Amino acid sequence: MEVNEKTPAVPAELRGIVKITYLDRSNCTLTEKNGFLGLRAVVDKPTDTLLNPEKPDEKKDENGEKIHYPEEDNLPEGKMLRVAERIFLSRAFPFDMPRDYISVLDKDKKEIGFIRSLDDFDEPQRSMLERELDAKYYTPTIKKIYSVKERYGFSYWRCDCEFGEKSFTLQDTYRSIIKSTNPDGSERLFILDVDGNRYEIPDVEALDRQSYKKIELYL
Amino acid sequence: MESIQTQAELEEKLAAERLERKKEQMWQRLHSVDPSLSPDGIITIFDFTLSDHVTAENKLDQRVDGLCALTKEALLVYENGKRTKEIKLSEADEFKITAGVGSVTADCILNGSDYLICRSDSSRTAEYAAVMKRINKFKKTGEFSFDYMKDLTRFCEKCGRPLPPGSSVCPHCVDKKGVMKRLWQIALPYKWYLAVSVVLFFAITGVNLLTPYINRILVDDFIKTESPESVLLWQFALVIISLAAVHIVSQLFGIVRSRVLVITSNKVIVKLREMVFSKIQQMSISRISKRTAGELMNRVNGDTSQIQNFITGLMPDLVQQSLILISVSVMLFVYDWRLALLILFPAPLVAMSFKYFWGFIHPLYGRSWNIYSKSNTILHDIFSGIRVVKAFGMEKRESDRFDEVSQEYRDITIRNERIWATIWPWLNFFMGIGEFFLLFYVGNRIIGGTMTLGEMSQFSAYVGMIYGPLRWVANLPRRLVQFTTSTAKVFEIIDEKIDVPDREDAKTIAIKGTIDVENVAFGYDESTDVLKNVNLHIEPGEMIGIVGKSGVGKSTLINLLMRMYDIGEGSIKVDGIDIRDLSQDCLRSQIGVVLQETFLFAGTIYDNIAYAKPTATRDEIITAAKIAGAHEFIMKLPDAYNTKVGEKGHTLSGGERQRISIARALLHNPRILILDEATASLDTETERQIQESLQKLIKDRTTLAIAHRLSTLRNATRLIVLDKGTVAEVGTHDELMRKRGIYYGLVMAQRQMSKMAPKNSAKVS
Repeated sequence: MEVNEKTPAVPAELRGIVKITYLDRSNCTLTEKNGFLGLRAVVDKPTDTLLNPEKPDEKKDENGEKIHYPEEDNLPEGKMLRVAERIFLSRAFPFDMPRDYISVLDKDKKEIGFIRSLDDFDEPQRSMLERELDAKYYTPTIKKIYSVKERYGFSYWRCDCEFGEKSFTLQDTYRSIIKSTNPDGSERLFILDVDGNRYEIPDVEALDRQSYKKIELYL
Repeated sequence: MESIQTQAELEEKLAAERLERKKEQMWQRLHSVDPSLSPDGIITIFDFTLSDHVTAENKLDQRVDGLCALTKEALLVYENGKRTKEIKLSEADEFKITAGVGSVTADCILNGSDYLICRSDSSRTAEYAAVMKRINKFKKTGEFSFDYMKDLTRFCEKCGRPLPPGSSVCPHCVDKKGVMKRLWQIALPYKWYLAVSVVLFFAITGVNLLTPYINRILVDDFIKTESPESVLLWQFALVIISLAAVHIVSQLFGIVRSRVLVITSNKVIVKLREMVFSKIQQMSISRISKRTAGELMNRVNGDTSQIQNFITGLMPDLVQQSLILISVSVMLFVYDWRLALLILFPAPLVAMSFKYFWGFIHPLYGRSWNIYSKSNTILHDIFSGIRVVKAFGMEKRESDRFDEVSQEYRDITIRNERIWATIWPWLNFFMGIGEFFLLFYVGNRIIGGTMTLGEMSQFSAYVGMIYGPLRWVANLPRRLVQFTTSTAKVFEIIDEKIDVPDREDAKTIAIKGTIDVENVAFGYDESTDVLKNVNLHIEPGEMIGIVGKSGVGKSTLINLLMRMYDIGEGSIKVDGIDIRDLSQDCLRSQIGVVLQETFLFAGTIYDNIAYAKPTATRDEIITAAKIAGAHEFIMKLPDAYNTKVGEKGHTLSGGERQRISIARALLHNPRILILDEATASLDTETERQIQESLQKLIKDRTTLAIAHRLSTLRNATRLIVLDKGTVAEVGTHDELMRKRGIYYGLVMAQRQMSKMAPKNSAKVS
């Protein structure tokens, strides 16, 4: 994994056409307010303002005056400070790269930038990101499967999860189980239930025999 | 009709009771957490399951037992029995939800900043969305409605399990007897046919029982007779002939029975299919789009044919085999009860071993079925995307992919067949083990002289007859499950409630074309509002252009006007009458639509244009085609208006298809014309021509046009700019340009684009 590489591996012919803003420890500081994650980042000024009439959130104080941040002094040419009180994180590859390629969006769901890897941040900032991702992508791990009953196209599951026993229902079982391969070659499963909840089996082979037999049919 | 009414009333009553119970339950929970609150001050209570507790290892332990209570002044948040937050309603604003992935967050704006109220897993999404909406309304009006609690998670009345989404039938509690009863009701008009077949069943069983008896006479009196010289040829011939006659009669009865059953089952199935199909036609788009086309096809065709298979195949077998089983058993017991016991004792063992065997083999076959369907999917994919495959030169890779799955399928099939081939003979042997005991017993008796050879042959035949049904019965549960599943699915569709129903006193009017949209809010699901607070007044004869970025709700607005969905809040009125009070027929027959994605039915161009008005004369059709700019290219086709289009038909370009569908809408002669990106696939020149002819046509009609290419809308009397789900700007082109708002931005962006276009193309060429 190349960490903190400034020129990412983009084919030469595509380079320079579209700019991706990467956020890392050098240009971005995370903040926390009211239970939400925010940031202050130094990013490129948008060049095409007509097609992208981007209005970075301007924070005003009680008197309606624009708040001045010390980072704004001595900004290099073409750069600007973006301050967002609340950001949204979105995994680009939630199933196979949960720690990499994380899009950072502002409150209007417009992209501020990309985090190529969580390792581009130091503690405690990395943990703040991890917690935010864990919270958004709430995915309890299944430790043991007690029963799987299939009826009329629905399957009813009873499992022992990381956070206690859980019962849930899948519609169209085959399509609700997403397979992904771990770096070590073992198989990881994501299970999507009718309520939109997700469950995870980090390594299918590591399941006990009884549990494995119950889902073998769907693999 | 009356029973349905009472059924609905009953359901309503039960729902109300459930609501009370739920409220009571929540109140108890709150009381145990915070006894200081008085029940009168509480507006509503909801719970949550997740929180951001950071553990000592700096990790997130998300579990929490949380409760939120809304009072007149504040929203109180309790976590694990302690009050952690108190959000004053006077300071908070805009309560809303943020949907995560597997989680949902309720938040609000407190003193200008986003503020977290609580988090939960996804199952609460709809509830939070509804509650947050109601809190906003409560702040404004002081009203709070609990109606949302009813529909949150609909539970089965009997078992309390949550119902599958989009279905009103609990898969656990499908009353199987009830299903059979209803099927019987549908079959009732054909009861005489059924009676005939039942009589035939008895007749066939009786005739079949005769054969072994005649066999016995044949053996004892003729073949193994003690005085062969006394046998008369004609008697012998008579026995043979009667044996043949029994066979023929049995076959004849069988033929008649099958015919009667096929006729009956087809009549029943056609009726069922009609019921399912007309129900699907009545369902709203939202219901239909919840199911895939394949699934609907399966309900109409697949599941009904399962039922048909049952009536023609399984049911007769079931009746026949059980009749044989019973009558042969009785006969055997009457002849010799010891013999009968010997024959029947392995039966339970066999049935049990079969059941075990199925539990073992079923997953194996399930797996092979799975891989088979996977290989089919790959094939379907490759063939429908053959142009892409060829264009990127991926033939080799695709055939490798298919090979791989085929090999996997081959391996599994070989393995399954091997297992089957090894187990089956043994199973068969054990099933027939009673025959050996029988042989021993009967042999002894023959040697002892208490039984004749003919009797033995008769017995053996009966034993054979009894083991057939026994083997068959072992398979029965699996087949019955298939049938009841299909039947339940079919009735599920038939029983489904129509969610955009016509009112009983729905009006039919001649529409003039005034449209009023008042405070409309709508979302495809509770959690996200696509449109909010939309207000519009459109005079008859106006041409309104609707502009805005992709995804702001332009097409949604059109869908609502056509009442493809019922709106959540507010009202849409046509000529001052709420569209919910109009019959859908009346409304849609006077609205003409041209959509961006044009759909041509399989048929000729003529059929397609005449679709909305089958009585149209040829002149009308040609006129409509001319206005739509379609006539010219149609006449260049060798078969002109008789050219076959649609699937397997002549390939038309996107622009040509669009012009045909414009002609279709024009022929409809609607009072309200809707053009949803209707001219998007046309070149500017053709578009201008069509615009000009349309201009004459739409003079006294209300027209709503959506277009990204803003030049399309230059003739519009007014433009409506949608942004973030609401009306941001209204006015003529000039007014909006002067305003320098969103519309101005869009126009400038397009101008820049068109300036850039020639430069770019020059570079390319």
